[in-house]
Order: sequence, then structure tokens, then C-alpha cells
Amino acid sequence: MQLRCLLLAALLVSAPFAASGNPNPEPDHTKIPEWQVIRKLMFGDREINPDDRDVVRLYLNTRADDAATVPIMINGQIDQTVNDYIKTLYVIVDGNPTPTAGVFHFTPDSGRVKMETRLRFEKYSFVRAVAELNDGQLYMSQRWVKAAGGCSAPMGKNVSAASVGKMRFRLDDAVEYDQPQLVQVQVRHPNESALASDLEPGHVPKFIRSVEVNYNDQPVMSGEVNFSLSDNPVFRFYFVPRAEGELSVRVEDTHDSVFSQSMRVSEGESTQTH
Amino acid sequence: MGFARQSVHYRTRLGDIFRRSKVRSVLTVLFGALVWVDGPAHGGAACADTVAVEASAAQIGSVETSAVELEIVAPGNYVHYGVHDERSRENLGDQANIGFIVGERCVLVFDGGGSFSVGRALLNAIREVTDKPICYVVISHVHPDHIFGVAALIADDPAIIGHENLPRQLAARGKFYRESLERDLGELAAGSDIVMPTKTVATGETMTVDLGDRKVDIRAWPPAHTDHDVSIFDRSTSTLWLADLLFVEHTPVLDSNITGFLAVMQTLRGAEARHYVPGHGRSNAAWPAVMDAQQRYFEVILKETRRAIRDNVRLMDAVNQVGLSEAEQWINFETYHRRNVTTAYTELEWE
Repeated sequence: MQLRCLLLAALLVSAPFAASGNPNPEPDHTKIPEWQVIRKLMFGDREINPDDRDVVRLYLNTRADDAATVPIMINGQIDQTVNDYIKTLYVIVDGNPTPTAGVFHFTPDSGRVKMETRLRFEKYSFVRAVAELNDGQLYMSQRWVKAAGGCSAPMGKNVSAASVGKMRFRLDDAVEYDQPQLVQVQVRHPNESALASDLEPGHVPKFIRSVEVNYNDQPVMSGEVNFSLSDNPVFRFYFVPRAEGELSVRVEDTHDSVFSQSMRVSEGESTQTH
Repeated sequence: MGFARQSVHYRTRLGDIFRRSKVRSVLTVLFGALVWVDGPAHGGAACADTVAVEASAAQIGSVETSAVELEIVAPGNYVHYGVHDERSRENLGDQANIGFIVGERCVLVFDGGGSFSVGRALLNAIREVTDKPICYVVISHVHPDHIFGVAALIADDPAIIGHENLPRQLAARGKFYRESLERDLGELAAGSDIVMPTKTVATGETMTVDLGDRKVDIRAWPPAHTDHDVSIFDRSTSTLWLADLLFVEHTPVLDSNITGFLAVMQTLRGAEARHYVPGHGRSNAAWPAVMDAQQRYFEVILKETRRAIRDNVRLMDAVNQVGLSEAEQWINFETYHRRNVTTAYTELEWE
């Protein structure tokens, strides 16, 4: 009994030490060395405005449950009009081997800018959403995310070769023409991380490098992406159907495989494909 | 209650020895004893074993080593129960339930624990119980609380056995797990290395090994807790060691496939086990009723995640909505539950 009590006491005494110092406080987001480099490379000397105009907002659970699958939602806060719209959305994870997780291009026809997807986080870092307006102004929102190991972790799900490139569409609300419609596209793809150590030597990691969405052949959204996105990537965004038509999605991966699928859209209908 | 008394008796003896010889304990589990025994059938054997244990307990007084607490859940089946706390320099990753089975010829070890120190403490405990060599080490799955002690248990050159998918998982996760261990334990992680299996069991297959008058079945399961779970079954006492196919008290963890896990549990229910060892937590009900809580947990997640997907609730929100009725039922719910929902959601959204 004596021994146990001593040990218990030791545990009690040592516990506060473990809890007292916060080993990962949120740093100053402007002073991250990786960010200085990324910023210079991507935006040169251009000014990046702190987002006091409320152009772009970033939503996520900042204490992530699964570093390989961190859902994120980026909402453009301004109406997409011909004169004033978000042209490009840069999604940046400072600490990832490929920090620029996605560069997504929108048009006034996107209706509203939204990008929901899932990210991998290799280490605790900021995730940033930089919105570039049609006049070239840049606005940034950022959040500090506590998640690590998401790029080193092996692919959790075994995506069979036959299913790679399979897509699913989901348009939950009954379509109204000339209104922004929220659509979800899921793509079956391992989206292999270059850091995953289960890759065979010499194997070029296979991940999606571009996604392109058109409605009746007019661009809605396109993006350059990489393995900072989770496996089986999911994209949610808006488009504006002006008439009956076809929403088509084309993705291309680093092994030059191209996958295309499309969905019929008509007024009053919601759609889920399988 | 033969085993329970025997077990308490054993611990008391160890306690006496600790006090007498002032042995420094690297690992001591601060839990009481509780062993489920569903019948007095093995009373005779238990008595015989008690004698053996007392004899070996007497020997260890002279050995100045660390030791772990053991419970004998069935004759020849020795379990060390891990703690539910997060890994720390205090507990050295001693979180999983690990243990060994002693045959006439040799010893089979099931999992090595979460660090070299835990594995070495287990080895010392084995040496206090028997001087027979370790001929098999079975690794239940890749998770760090089960694998890092294996390196301490291979001096006798045992066959190291795991699921056919285990080597790939060890290769993939080993480096990351090792770095995390070092981050948490610092120099106390020393010696904790990845040990690759020398033999594997194909999915759905059972490999039977003989420890000398004692046959043990090693079964490789389809994707459930992970995509490479194995359980072992000691035929002579009908003792089923489930590792993380069964969580008691501790939030069940899903690292592979929720529908698969439920299917595997259904098959497991058919096992005619007289005794069982969960991967975390202690026996608290008869077999297979002990699985009811875990089954309910996964069924709740399955149902509510499917509903969330159907209702177009995004993953980000689903993790904060699904399965909350289970929050009070489990230890470490905050740490593991939302991750489980993430795993289930990303599987079920493709149904």
C-alpha cells in the first residue's frame, strides 16, 4: 500500500508540470518563417490586407480530430458581380510540404464563392485563405490549427484501382435558375501524399493536380490542388444554372489520368448520383 | 472465484516482496483487481497454479528488477492491464493490455506494450513466472501502445507473428509513431523500435501454434478496428485475447471500417470463450455480453452518421452532433470520439 501511495503522490505532483506550460501557443501569424517564403514566392511584394473588409471567412474545428482529414469551409463574403468579385482563392497550410493546398479560380457565374474541402496537416500551423479580387486586391484570413502527422500518415482507406476516379454528385436543394446552387462533388482517389512512407521507392506519388468544373461548357470553378487535400477529396461550391444543362467535372492526377463525370441539372430537381 | 482470489494473492505476494527488498518499480498500475470467471470448473488447476506462482514469487525477491502487475485470468494466461491515461513520461506508454501464455515447452507473448520499458518490464515478469523461452510474439496490430515493447521481448529469437497487412502498416506508420513517442517520452523512449513480423497470417485465416501441450489459435480478421487485427485463443482454457477488437470502459477506437467492425463483432460473439482479455479496460461482464456496450456505441455512430450524411450535415458539424448520447458512457471520449465519427463518415459517404 505504501508503495502505491507514494507512486500516486508522485503522479499527482508531476501532473501540474505536464499541464502548466502550453508547448504550442498560437504564434504571431505574420512571423512564421515558412509563410515569409511562401508569401514572397506567391505574391511578391504585393500587399496582403488583413481582412477588415470581411471578404473571406474561414471555418474549421481548430483542434483537429484527424490530421489527415481536417474539414475546412471558406466562404466569400461579397456578392460575385461582374464589377467586384473574388477571382482566386488561395488555400495555404504553412507547415505542409506543399503549402499551397489549393488555388481555386472563380467567375461572376460562380454566384457566391465557397470552397469546402478537407485538408491534411503535417504539423501545427496556420491555414490561410487569401482572396484575390478582380482588381488585384488581396485579403487574408487565417486560423491556427492543432493537428499533426496528416501527410506522413499512411492512406487509411484502401482505394481499389477499379474505383479510382469515380465521382459522386450531390445537389440537395431543388434547383432554381439564376440562383447560386450548392453542389458537392466527391472523387474516389488515394491522393497519395509524397511524405507517406508506404510508397514504394521510385514511385511518383499519385495525387490530383487539377479540378475543373463547367456548366454547359462555361467555367464555374477550377483549381490546382495537391496532396494537402485528403484522400477521396470532396469539394463543395456554388454555381449558377441559367437553364437546364450539364455540370461536368474533370480531374487530372499526377500520373496523367483524367477522370470526367457530369450531372444533369434541371429546375425544381435535386440530384444525388451513386 | 478461484482465479480472482489467486490473483489477489499473487499481487499481495509481489507487494510483500517490493516492501521487503525495496525493489524500485518502473511500472506499477494503480488499479484494483477484478477478474471475471464464469464458473468454478478450473478450481483444481487454479490451485496447482497458485503453488507455482508462489514458488516463482519467492524467487523474485532476490532479483533486483522492475516488475509489472499481472493477473492470471486462466491457468497459464497472464495479463498486464494498461492504464487509460494519455501516454506520458510517468506511464511510459503502458496503456494497452498485454500478456503471455505459458505452455509446457515455451511462452507466447501477445503484444509488447507502448515502449521498450514496458516490454522489458513484461519480460522481467515473464522471467519471474517461468524460465521457459519465448517462442512466439504475436503483434495484435500497428498502434504504438501495442508494438514498441516488442523489441524487448525478442532475445530468445521467437517467431514474430502478425496479420498479412501488418508489415505494410509498420513500414508506413513506424517512423511517425517513433517520432511521436520520442516527443512524449524523450530519452525514456530509448530502445523502442519497430520489429517486423517474421510470419504473417492471411485475412480470414487462423494459424495454430503449439507451446507444448497447449495450442493457441492466431486469427487474422478482415478490416475492423484496423485493417490488420489479430486475436488469439488459448484452446486449453478457452481464453480469448481480443486486443483492440474489444474496448471496455475506454472509448472504442475506429481506425478502419465501422461496418466491418460490427460484422467482426458479430462473428466474435460466436466464440466459445470461457475467459477473455480486452485490449483496454478490464473484464466486467460475462462473454459475450461484455461486447454489448461497444456494439451499442458503434451502432449509434453508424445510425447517426448515416442520418447526418442523408441530411447533408457536413463532416465538420457531424463530429459535434453524432453519438453524443454515448459521452457519459466512456473514458477518453473527448480524445477519440470525433475521430471515430470522421472515420465512419468518410466511409459511409460512399455507401
